[in-house]
Amino acid sequence: MGRSLKKGPFVDEKLFGKVMKQNDQGIREPIKTWARRCTIVPEFVGFTFMVHNGKMFHKVYVSEDMVGHKLGEFSPTRTFRGHSGGRRGK
Amino acid sequence: MPRIAGIDVPNDKQVWVALTYIHGIGPCLSRQILKEAQIGDAVRARELTDDELSRINSILDRNYVIEGQLRRQTNQNISRLKEIICYRGLRHRRGLPVRGQCTQSNARTRKGPRKTVAGKKGVKEMRG
Repeated sequence: MGRSLKKGPFVDEKLFGKVMKQNDQGIREPIKTWARRCTIVPEFVGFTFMVHNGKMFHKVYVSEDMVGHKLGEFSPTRTFRGHSGGRRGK
Repeated sequence: MPRIAGIDVPNDKQVWVALTYIHGIGPCLSRQILKEAQIGDAVRARELTDDELSRINSILDRNYVIEGQLRRQTNQNISRLKEIICYRGLRHRRGLPVRGQCTQSNARTRKGPRKTVAGKKGVKEMRG
């Protein structure tokens, strides 16, 4: 189910603050973050985030198309290395 | 046979059914369109006059995305997801369910016909 429009998109305030701070100073450094639930807003475009997936940080360069998605969508939390019986490759 | 929206040639079914043969028009929209065009539901498609046909066509043109255009739109949306490498895009790429369904069993619609693995028996046997 979608989120109520009344509330607007959820944006992690601390992260948003960091972005604005970098914007003011005119620098674009990767921002390490655990805020996977944070919606990508237009202000984020052009920034690089290091999004935590529970283990490591994935580099996510935010492009215009990504607006409206959550940061977590770009940092997969599971790894699938194939099934144990898969000997076909040998 | 009447031609509606370009290529579509629905047969001698009732109009509201015939309209659902157009990609992007279901029973609900079909009825709405007929209401707007002021055509009775029960009329057979072959009994439609040219005037009625053009009325339906113009309504379709004006208000709805159908057929090729709709297909293109859907594909574009999917390829957008694939390009930005988000979770949903990855699921599309791998041909797995996109909306969080379980995949341990079933999910055959997305995964396609079963691929039997030779020599694979029980999990127990593999461990022993």
